[in-house]
Amino acid sequence: MTPGQLLLFAVGGLSNAAYLFIVAAGLSLVFGALRVINMAHGSLYMIAAFVTVVIANQIGAGLGFWAGLLVAVAVTGAIGGIIEVLVLRRVYGREHLVQLLGTYAVSLVVAGGVRITFGANYRTVLSPIPGHIDVGGYSYASYSLFMIAAAIVIAVGVWAMLYRTNLGRNIRAAVADPDLLNATGVNVTRLYTTVFVIGAGLAGLGGAIVAPSQAISSSIDTDVLVLAFAISVIGGLGSIVGSGIGAVIVGMVISFGLVIPATNPYALAFVFIIMTAVLIVRPRGLFGRAES
Amino acid sequence: MTRLLPDSRRDRLRWGVVLALFLFAALIPPLAGFEENVNPDASARFQIFLGTSALVLALWAISYNLMLGYTGMVSFAHAAYYGVGAYTVAILFKRYNVPVLVGLAAAPFVAAAVGLVTGLVAQRAVRLYFSLLTLAISQLLFSLVYQSYDFTGGDNGAAITVPDQLTDYTTLYYFTAAVVAVCLLLMFMIVRSPLGAALLSIRENRQRAAAIGINVKVYELAIYTIASLFAGVAGGLFIFYQQQAYPEMLYWTANAQPVVVSLLGGTTTFLGPAIGAFIYVVLDNTISKQFPYQFDIVLGAIVLAVVLAAPGGVSDLPSVFVRLRERFRRSDDAEELPVESAGDAIRMFDVRKALASDAIQADEVHSGKTLLSIEHLSKQFGGLRAVEDVSLEVKQGDRHAIIGPNGAGKSTLFNLLTGQMKPSSGKVIFDGRDITGKPPHVIARTGIGRAFQITTIFPKLTVRQNLQYAMLAHGGYTIRPFGIANRMFHAEAQELAEAVGLGEWADLPAGQLSHGDQRAIEIAISLALGSKLVLLDEPTAGMSAYETDKAMELVRRLATERHLTLLFCEHDMSVVFSTARTVTVMYQGRVLTEGTPEQVRHNPDVQKVYLGELEQEELGA
Repeated sequence: MTPGQLLLFAVGGLSNAAYLFIVAAGLSLVFGALRVINMAHGSLYMIAAFVTVVIANQIGAGLGFWAGLLVAVAVTGAIGGIIEVLVLRRVYGREHLVQLLGTYAVSLVVAGGVRITFGANYRTVLSPIPGHIDVGGYSYASYSLFMIAAAIVIAVGVWAMLYRTNLGRNIRAAVADPDLLNATGVNVTRLYTTVFVIGAGLAGLGGAIVAPSQAISSSIDTDVLVLAFAISVIGGLGSIVGSGIGAVIVGMVISFGLVIPATNPYALAFVFIIMTAVLIVRPRGLFGRAES
Repeated sequence: MTRLLPDSRRDRLRWGVVLALFLFAALIPPLAGFEENVNPDASARFQIFLGTSALVLALWAISYNLMLGYTGMVSFAHAAYYGVGAYTVAILFKRYNVPVLVGLAAAPFVAAAVGLVTGLVAQRAVRLYFSLLTLAISQLLFSLVYQSYDFTGGDNGAAITVPDQLTDYTTLYYFTAAVVAVCLLLMFMIVRSPLGAALLSIRENRQRAAAIGINVKVYELAIYTIASLFAGVAGGLFIFYQQQAYPEMLYWTANAQPVVVSLLGGTTTFLGPAIGAFIYVVLDNTISKQFPYQFDIVLGAIVLAVVLAAPGGVSDLPSVFVRLRERFRRSDDAEELPVESAGDAIRMFDVRKALASDAIQADEVHSGKTLLSIEHLSKQFGGLRAVEDVSLEVKQGDRHAIIGPNGAGKSTLFNLLTGQMKPSSGKVIFDGRDITGKPPHVIARTGIGRAFQITTIFPKLTVRQNLQYAMLAHGGYTIRPFGIANRMFHAEAQELAEAVGLGEWADLPAGQLSHGDQRAIEIAISLALGSKLVLLDEPTAGMSAYETDKAMELVRRLATERHLTLLFCEHDMSVVFSTARTVTVMYQGRVLTEGTPEQVRHNPDVQKVYLGELEQEELGA
């Protein structure tokens, strides 16, 4: 493998990592604060992807995409709020099984709704940032580079939200001891809704950003969910830094796994081998806190 | 469930439902033919085909429920074993020309082998992480099947041709029904056997299960493997009527089917998932025929309703019906939430006799044999030394109290003795055996029973079952996959329940009794285990003065009657001085002093320690 190819596949891996990070960060944020694994996370991602595609195709590429992205994030955030109030509030602190099934039920309802609203066909949208950049004889799609940049901006944004704002301080306090936080006068119920809306919005952002780079169908929800699980587990559930590292690992494994002929068919299998290994050796993941 | 109806009526109702279910299953082909006569649009063949698929789904779901309902494990890999079963038949047939019936016989064993190996891996994590690990394993198996084009046929799947005798829908239906019936019978035997009792106790309370001597991990692996074995049969039967195995069978989302079906029918009853399977198949074919996309929504709505309407968790489903029933019909015999045993234990206590034997024992104790010997035991958590260089001896027949202010290391010491924690250094010798660092279930078997600080019993099992299951575990019967657990040690358990004053309440769920009576159950469990030494971690914590007196009278009486050795820690000094013959004082992880209650009471250091704490408390520190 030449250095040029190496760079090409590395950038491919990073652009995979980019959208996967945005989705996994939302999953992880919600788990960290609410201790709930949201099985409907991939559904929110799927809704956003469809909303973006439909709006972008209506208005026309470029402006249409950006409008679609904003609407998609707003829609998923709002749906997230509804899910939190109607479903999640009733399952906090209960067995994992109840939480898994409750959010799984939501994902079924969403999947059905998406198929009714958008049909079962594949949809595509033109890239809002067309063109490519040539480096060392290989060309790189501008949009891939944009995705990587966007993920970095979002990573910094989430970090700043968690460590530089009142909201973030409250979220971190809720992770440590929600009862104590409640006693200090913070409305923890509302805080949980806020966290879930942010998590849903991140799923939406991931779905919107991925839309121009993939064909969108009504089965992308479970595909992305299982990868987001893998990333969160590898990096450590509840850790944003972990989601970043996990996303890069998974993105790279998929990218390089697919281009190396010997491993080509088993690229995805490697992701799950790593996930298995991490869970066995270090169940809380590379950056996760031990569960008390 | 136990209190839903009077016993006889409940049994009759239950067997009625079971009989109706089996009769319905047996009559599906003629019923389908009849419907075709009445309504020519309805194809009998298709209806019989649906019946076959419902049978297979029922078997698959009940095998899932062996884990979900009986041990509380949530696995995302169960569909993979179902898929392995189907692929076993297909690949043996296509590549090795093995007859499909032989393949069907092999399928469960291949699935069980895969289940055993992957189950060993999955067991490295617990609870949520166990579930996520099964998800990874499931996706791994899926990718292998999906991508091994040459071996499995990849996304084309693998097809078989069934022998001519089984191509007829009705014959295939009865063939499937026969195999499913045999499997259900085997699973039912397991569920009500002592092995099933062990599984039930794990679901009810893992810590207590270990403390009655059950090796929790081994039993969980066993049921995981057994469940994958029956999933393999279901997968093998699936390919008989679909004539095709495909990789999506192994995809993690495929697990939704058995889970939803179990939920629909109820996870706490053995045949519940079978009822769920028939409902599911009917729903699937009525709704998705007309509204292909609405089925998911309906399914989601049903799951949501079940999950949100059963606040006690999914395992508590029947209580919803009980609550609904009570809302509509205030039954006359609606009785007893917390009940009180009305001091039976005290009435039965012969004071003079106890005092007499007390006097004899007190002299014997200090010259007697050492039962438990702790040598230089230490436990560190990071920099904190919770227990440091503790040595003490507990004599046979003694009632030995450990006291000390909060943070003295009493509970940590107990956890080191019963295996909840491993010591950093030092030795524990019990009855001549080195038990240092052994796991809880092994220590329980050597004869150390324990009542935990927070009462740890099996709340949904009856008082008698609590004791029966402890006796089964103690006798080593829990490895038996046959026999009826609830009929074993019935009389012995009843006798023991009576001995602790709970004879009248033996048929009540243990969790419904008062706090003090639950304590008594916990102590009785130790007796059921034949424990020579019983550890009591703050036996009267949270009790009223009346309950305290009652509980301690019981403890003293049992210790006397049954020649028990007691080791307990307690904050209530009146309890300590009325019960203990030897007192060890711990302070900041070390042994401060030891002696008779009188000696300790007058020890100036002890007074200083307690006074010091009092002063601190007064200062609000």
